Amino acid sequence: MTALELIGAINQILFVGLFVVVLRHALRERRRSSFNTALLFGSIAAVVLVSRVADALGLAEHPAYPGIVITLLAVAPFAMVRLVDDFSHSPRAIQIAGYLGFAVVAAMAILAFGPIQRLVGLVAIVFFLVVGGYAGYAFAREAARARGITRRRMTAVATGAVAFIAALVLIFAGVLLPRVAETASILAQVAALVAAGAFFLGFAPPAWIRRAWREPDLRHFLERSIHLAGVTDERAAVAELNVAAASALGARGASVGIADPNRGVLRYVDAETGEWSDFPDDMFIAGRAYRAGRRVVAEDAAAADPQHADRYRATGANAVIATPIGTDARRLGVLAVYAERMSIFAEDDLWLVDLLADQSAVLLEARTLAEHASALRAREEAARMKEEFLSAAAHDLRTPLTVVLGQAELLERRQQRSPEAPADAQGLARIAREARRLSDLVSELLDAQRLEQGGAVRDFAPADLLEVVAAVRERYSEGGVTLSAPAPSLPLIASVDRPRIEQVLDNLVENALKYTPQGPPPEVHVAIDGGEARIAVVDHGIGIPGTDRKRIFERFFRASNAQSITDTGLGLGLFICRRIVEEHGGRIWFEPTPGGGTTFAITLPLVEESGTEPLDERGDAWEPRPARGVAADA
Amino acid sequence: MPELRILVVDDEPDIRATVQAMLEIEGHVVGLAANGADALAAVERDPPDLILLDMRMPVLDGWGFAAELRRRRLDIPVVVMTAARDAARWASEISAPAFVSKPFRFDDLLTAVERARPEPFA
Repeated sequence: MTALELIGAINQILFVGLFVVVLRHALRERRRSSFNTALLFGSIAAVVLVSRVADALGLAEHPAYPGIVITLLAVAPFAMVRLVDDFSHSPRAIQIAGYLGFAVVAAMAILAFGPIQRLVGLVAIVFFLVVGGYAGYAFAREAARARGITRRRMTAVATGAVAFIAALVLIFAGVLLPRVAETASILAQVAALVAAGAFFLGFAPPAWIRRAWREPDLRHFLERSIHLAGVTDERAAVAELNVAAASALGARGASVGIADPNRGVLRYVDAETGEWSDFPDDMFIAGRAYRAGRRVVAEDAAAADPQHADRYRATGANAVIATPIGTDARRLGVLAVYAERMSIFAEDDLWLVDLLADQSAVLLEARTLAEHASALRAREEAARMKEEFLSAAAHDLRTPLTVVLGQAELLERRQQRSPEAPADAQGLARIAREARRLSDLVSELLDAQRLEQGGAVRDFAPADLLEVVAAVRERYSEGGVTLSAPAPSLPLIASVDRPRIEQVLDNLVENALKYTPQGPPPEVHVAIDGGEARIAVVDHGIGIPGTDRKRIFERFFRASNAQSITDTGLGLGLFICRRIVEEHGGRIWFEPTPGGGTTFAITLPLVEESGTEPLDERGDAWEPRPARGVAADA
Repeated sequence: MPELRILVVDDEPDIRATVQAMLEIEGHVVGLAANGADALAAVERDPPDLILLDMRMPVLDGWGFAAELRRRRLDIPVVVMTAARDAARWASEISAPAFVSKPFRFDDLLTAVERARPEPFA
């Protein structure tokens, strides 16, 4: 046996083997593309069989033999074009050329081979080149369009198709040109070997190759989606999951529906608006898969779900694969994948869709767990703050109570021991003072409660903020508080609940004094910024630790260094300030004062008719930058 | 009962004054301090027989003061006086023989002082 004969024998074994594999597959999955694949390799296997039988029976010289072989060989390009049509639109002309060409070649070969041998050969070559060549091009185009394993398999198929057509053309060229017959035959066998190998990889890849080819898709999907477990916005997470799934499959689109069993709907994220859209959980092919708890494959979605045919057509979703997400015991939703046409390697897609659905289930469960965990943390935190608050409130109430109770008992004893002695004026003063303090604490608690519920700021009336601020400063002039403000001739009119705004400013100034154990006294700055008045209280005190900055306006929160100044304090003052300012449509925030300390600032919208000209040319005079220091501070 | 020299340590002036008045009516001699650091200075100047100690105070708190007292080997009994719920625990933390929780009755204070009164020949 020569090397050429050996290659020929290997080719024959490979092609027959391929036919057996694809035939088994076609019998298991009766789809058009499986049938066309079987047709392709069936024709080649038939050629092998016929030539073997003819050799064995000595019929190779029979006049009908070449006609039968040529007819069988002409089936291959025809089957390829049909296969191309299974996964993409192929021009009608090519389909007609496929049918017509096959008919012409077959008729000429069988009916009139002998006399017009050369003509038949030429027609066959043209047929192979045009129809087979187109199929090869179409496979290559599909390979470029596809992704992952489908791309690799398609590439192999395209290679096989081109090599196979080359082999056919070479065989016929050998017949037409006897001078190059030997070379053509060798090249044809080599091309056929390449075709057989490539077809094997494309149509029947071994399991280990399949695994290796699938792995990048999966990894790609996981890389894109793993962080979604931590994305708080479920809508954004689902939208991204859709994109990741479509990208992993190389599909036109994918849509994850999240089950809401209480309402009997599946929630999808609309691809165009990005908003939730809810549909009954039995609607669409996706709904069927969800309800049935198993995968539903619709090669022709419009036919499978005629009620929504328009919708499928409008989105180009001709083929739909839908798989439930989650287990029967805990169905989380559904994953639906849309494609223009079902891939001829649908089994890979089905495998990947199932896997993506499983991964989605893991992600969704992880999200649910993360949500539960953070809700639990928030509850624990709220409980802890409440506990701390109760403890702080009890402490703050006990201190004045101790004085009131103790002084009262002292008065009692004095009265018993020496009834004629004059009343203890100091003791009485202490009782009165601490009783007022108790009363203030109780008011603060009630205030916080009412402001939390809203509507506690009601009596809005126009007031001159400059006058308000001046009154506040006057109250704290003993503490050395200074004020800088625009020229007093121009009023800053805002519509405010004046006692409430004074309460805010009192609170900020008191804090500034309290948390400045030593150093220059606090300053109050007023400025205009657009239609707003800005009032800032600048202190040079102990500052607020960075870790507490985010929470300083929360109810019951006290900065961690506040304890070093005073043990009393409910952590309500700034919360109350924030609520009051917000009820006025203003803002409150703070910044560290350069050189140490804290600057609290509030804005309040000014009434339109009040001057919006910057009264102070240093419009942001409240800012405690030395270069912009305000004269009144000096 | 012989009178004692008692140092009252609390950051609230009204509490200091109230406790002082209560103890003086019973014949004790009372000194005052606003925090742990002031109290240490007072103890160094003139060691009292007994200390009434608030725990949460600025500058130097009750724990810091008690630790410093021990470090200087000043063996003076302490009565913990706090508005917190943890009075008993805090007292045992600094080995104080007695405590009173604010707000307290006159008699509670006197009982605590008697419990902590140093042994005559200790």
